[in-house]
Parts: sequence; C-alpha cells; structure tokens
Amino acid sequence: MLRMAVMIKQVPDSQDITIDPVTKTLNRTQARNIVNPPDMNALEAALQLKDKYGGEITVITMGPPMADSALLECTSRGADKAVLVTDRVFAGADTWPTSFTLATTAEYLGGFDIIFCGEETTDSSTGHVGPGIAEFLGVEQATYIHSIDYQDPYFIVEREIEGAVETLKIGKPAVVTVVLNANNPRKPTLKRKIEAFRKGVITITNKELKLRPECVGLKGSPTVVKDMKTIVDKPKDTVKVGPEEIPKVVEVLTQRGILKC
Amino acid sequence: MSDFDAIVVGAGNAGSSAAIYMANKGLNVLLVDRADPPGAKNLSGGVLWGNDLAQILPKWQSEAPLERFINNKKLGFLTEKSSFMLDFKTQIFEENKVGYTVLRSKFDPWLAKKAKEAGALVIPGITVESLAIKDRKVIGIVESGDTITADVTLLAEGVNARLAIEAGLKRPLRDSDVSLGIKEIIKLSPQKIEDRFNLKNNSGVASEYILGFLGELNVGGFLYTNKDSISLGVVVPMENLRENGVTHSYDLIEMFKEHPSIAPLIEGGQVAEYGAHLIPEGGLEMMPKLYGNGYMILGDAAGFAFSNGLVLQGMNYAILSGIKAAETAVEAKLRNNFSEQSLSAYEEKLNSTYVLKDLKTFKDIRKVTNNPMMYNTYPKLLESIMLETLWERGQPKKKIRDVLSSCASNLNMGKIKTLKEFYYIYRRM
Repeated sequence: MLRMAVMIKQVPDSQDITIDPVTKTLNRTQARNIVNPPDMNALEAALQLKDKYGGEITVITMGPPMADSALLECTSRGADKAVLVTDRVFAGADTWPTSFTLATTAEYLGGFDIIFCGEETTDSSTGHVGPGIAEFLGVEQATYIHSIDYQDPYFIVEREIEGAVETLKIGKPAVVTVVLNANNPRKPTLKRKIEAFRKGVITITNKELKLRPECVGLKGSPTVVKDMKTIVDKPKDTVKVGPEEIPKVVEVLTQRGILKC
Repeated sequence: MSDFDAIVVGAGNAGSSAAIYMANKGLNVLLVDRADPPGAKNLSGGVLWGNDLAQILPKWQSEAPLERFINNKKLGFLTEKSSFMLDFKTQIFEENKVGYTVLRSKFDPWLAKKAKEAGALVIPGITVESLAIKDRKVIGIVESGDTITADVTLLAEGVNARLAIEAGLKRPLRDSDVSLGIKEIIKLSPQKIEDRFNLKNNSGVASEYILGFLGELNVGGFLYTNKDSISLGVVVPMENLRENGVTHSYDLIEMFKEHPSIAPLIEGGQVAEYGAHLIPEGGLEMMPKLYGNGYMILGDAAGFAFSNGLVLQGMNYAILSGIKAAETAVEAKLRNNFSEQSLSAYEEKLNSTYVLKDLKTFKDIRKVTNNPMMYNTYPKLLESIMLETLWERGQPKKKIRDVLSSCASNLNMGKIKTLKEFYYIYRRM
C-alpha cells in the first residue's frame, strides 16, 4: 500500500488580485480563496495512483486556520486525511522555512513513499517548495512531471523538456511536482463531501513539530520584499475602422497567422 | 434509518433560516447549495426586513453584514424628461431599524455560516441532481448516483425549482408567473452616496420607480443605497417582454441608468457586479402544493414574494416560510411522522402569517402592477398636471378640475373609464 502525501496551498483567485498602491502589498480582500490550480493536478495524479495500486492519501497545507476549506476540497475529491499545519510562528514564511516545515511535518506523520506538489503556486510562482521538501528530506525528486506510474520500488515519471519527453525512473521515497493541466481533476461528489466535512481536518502546530522559532515563519525567511510596483499597460495606438476596412483587417490577421483562410 | 433528519436544498434566506431553526432544536440537518461559498450565487434587489430573522437570530442587527438601514422610501414616476417623486422620510424608521439594504453575496454566506454554527452540516458547491422518491414518498436527494436520505426534505431551491418540477411536485414556470429582474451594483464612495442622497449615520434610501418612457413595456425600476455602492435594477414581467419581442432585456437597465433623474445619482460610479434573476410574482396562481409525503416547499420555490408597486419584498417571506417549515419538521420529528398529513401543519402555520395572508389579500394585484396604463399613461398624466400647474407660461390659470380633464383628454383618457380604472386600482391595492 502506497503512503502518499499531497502538499497544497490555498491561494487567492488570481483574477481578483490587485496591488495596493500605497502599501505595495497584494490586496486579496476581494479575492475568493481556491486551491492552487496545479495542486489539484497533483492531487488527481495521486488519486489515479491510488485507484491503480491502492494506498492512502494525506493532504497537507501550511496556512492560517481558514485554509481548512482548501483541504476539505481535496478530501471531498477522495483524499483520505487532511492535515492543517498552522501556528503563529509559521506565519510570514518564504519558501525556505515553508519547505522545512512541510518536510518536518511529513517526517512527523511517519514519512511517505511519495509526496506530490503542484509545479508552483499562482500567487508567488517560485516552484521552490517541492524541490525544497525533497532536499530537506534527502529524497529523490522529479519536477514538472505530467504523468506517473509505479513499479515497486520505483516511480516512472514523464516530463516535457524542449522538443522531447523525458522518462525518468526515480527511487522510492520521492517528491514530484506536477504541471498545471497534467490531468483532468475529478469533481467532488456530495457523498464524499459529507464524509470529508464530517471527518474534518487534523491540526498540527509547533507544539507537535517543536521547531526552533528562528528557523520558521518570517524569522526563518531569508527573502526580503523590498518593493512592489503596479505596471500599467500603456494603451496602444488604436485606430477606428469602419466595415469597409474589414477585408484589410482580415488580410493582416491572416498574414500574421492569427486567422486561417 | 435515514442519513439525516432533514435535508435542505438551497442556502438562500428560506433554506438557511430553516436549517438554523432545525439545528437549534437538535435535528441532524444537511444544508446543500450549488454555490461555494454557500448562497454566493443568490440575487435579489436587496432590501431585507428583518423582523422574522430576529426570531432565529436575535442579534442579527449587530452580526449580519448589513449595508444601510432604510429611513427613506421613495416612489417615482418617470417620463422621458420628468420625474414625479413621493418621498417619505421618517424618524420612526430610524428609531425602529428593521429595514436594511443587504448585498446577497455577503449576506447569504453569513446566514449559511450561522446554520453551520447552529450545528447543520453545510455543504457548498454541490448541485443536487434529483429527488429520491420511493413508494410515493420523498426520501432524500440524489447526486452522482448516490442517494442521501432524510426523513424530510425541504426544497428551498429558488424560483426555478427544478427538483420540485422534475419530480412533478410543481408545475413548470409560465411566463405569467415571473418577472425578470436585472441588477447592477455600482461602486461609489460612501461620502458621495451620503451627499447625493442626503444620508448620514448609516441611513439609506430605497426607491421604486415606474418607468413611463419605455412604450409598451411595463418596467419597474429600483435603486437602493449600500455602504459604498448602489443597487440599481429593473423588473419587467416575462410575458410583457415576450409579447413585445424584447430580446435585449439588458438595454432596459441602460435606459433606466441614462434617465435624467437617475444618471446624476450614479455618475462616476463603477459597475462592480451585475446579474439577472427571475422574480416569482404569480402569487397564489403559481403556488404549488406546499407539502407532501416527506417534503415541504419554501421561499421563492413556493412563489412567496410580494409586489404591489409600492413595496417589493421576498426575503422576509422566505425567512418566515423557512421558520414555519422548520417548526413543522421539528414537530413531525417528535411525532416521528413525516407523512403528508403530518406535514400539512406547514400550510396551516403559513395561513396564520402574512406569507399566505398577503398572497390572498392581494390575489389580483398583478392586474394593477401589470396594468399598461400604470406605465404608459399615468406617469404622463402626472407630468402634464404638474406642467399645467407649475409652469408659468403667461397663460390664464385653470382650476385643478379643468387641469385634470384637459390633461386626461390629451392622453385620450375617457372620464368614466379613468374613474373606473382608479377605483379598480384603489380596490386592489
């Protein structure tokens, strides 16, 4: 039986985010919280592996208490357990202490045969955390994969490289990061949702993990955000065209390969 | 043994209120809604009269996401170039704050959260496929091939009650049952809103309009002030839209916004949200049988809404019907009897409240609110009377009687016929 973990993050829906011109911070108040989209592909990859070979999937996130809804989204789709890693001391973490805290959580939970992550998050786009977890755990990793299979004691993964598809065989235990749209994430069902909501989430704090406060959260973060700017797109020179110019427009678009005639 | 004591379909005012009441009484309740967060897809004009809400949430005024309390009600008759307003502002509303503007996309998730706090299992983001029916009894709901069972199912699924209709518990909607409401939420700073509408201390205005400049269409308009936005919209009977072949119904809201008495009120505002929704206005004619073996129908799904041109209400009817259905479910649980006969108490309870009383008292009101004269003629009549009386044009003045008769005859309104019409309206309002 495979012991699998999926690391997810709750992110604001990127369509709804603006930057506060005064404080230069992201204004997320109007944004709906969703599960980071590639994380859903990571979850689906894990679910498919479970469908094929059996196993148990634990979904883990580090975040504020309200991130429990993101975990429930995952258990509603068939993950078995949900773990929320939350503590004041973990707040403000960049990718370094985040990877460290999540790796420690994986160990605390008894370790996993494979850990799935999304390729990157839509709210910071670093792609650090998956590889970070692998490094902290000292296990093998494959990034940006779009398919995975299991041949004990290996995982066979495919990743796209320029002009080719690379197939890798990596040893158990391993960490993989899954690209956006690698698969078609299943929808939750009411029955699963009822079970998931009833089961709820398991909360882990630093009482359990016992990490040194200077190694986690803001204090443990080497990154400093110095400035943030909103870049306004300059309006392009626009020309008003009448119906008589339509053939010309079509011609230009065809020349540029945007339209096919 | 059922999975739940009660399943509530739809986390609007009716469904969430019912779930809160039942969960408070210790019932094992499932509340399911298609939107996530629950109720986020719901839409209405936006004035909530909260007397009934106080029954289940006594602290609603301090806890709910409310916008402004109404201390000013207006009724306006608009013609192409004029507006005639009745403007009622009262300290009494200020002392008894029960009418508030709300934004449903905030209010409904809050109400569903209250249901969760009361102990109901609230599941968002699920569209129920059908009702589970066994031996002519509703035994629960079906989704993705799974049946989730309950002793009683409360259908609070909204005006287009698909589950009830497909199960044959309600007839399909007819054009004559509904009006189409189209609404925009227009962002404006609180300062601008307060200046433009003469408001302070979180007070607000709720205005209803008769739009007398849209030809054959019987269009009503509304404009409500929120904290930092304005809810503005139009309401038009579906039948009337269809008869006139109006396919671009959204043009109507544009024409309302461009009216000379509306445009300055929303100037500089940005449209933040827009939506359209059907409004049940068929009253008793569209009301289904409200209960049967294992089910009850609530709120908009039952056609509980009220409009007489002066007021346009639905949320309070939904809340009260939710409470009454919940009371019935709790009593049925005590008897352990969820048969049609046992649940008939729901209708009896509603009969003694304004929900069914109003529908009966005003059973002919659509003949007034949909009377073409109300839209095509009376606003123009008012306009010409006002012009005749107030516009100094160097002409000899007329007695009011002569003003009336000349204005009426200019609009081809026969005296007797007009008097009859007025009497007709007077009787039904």
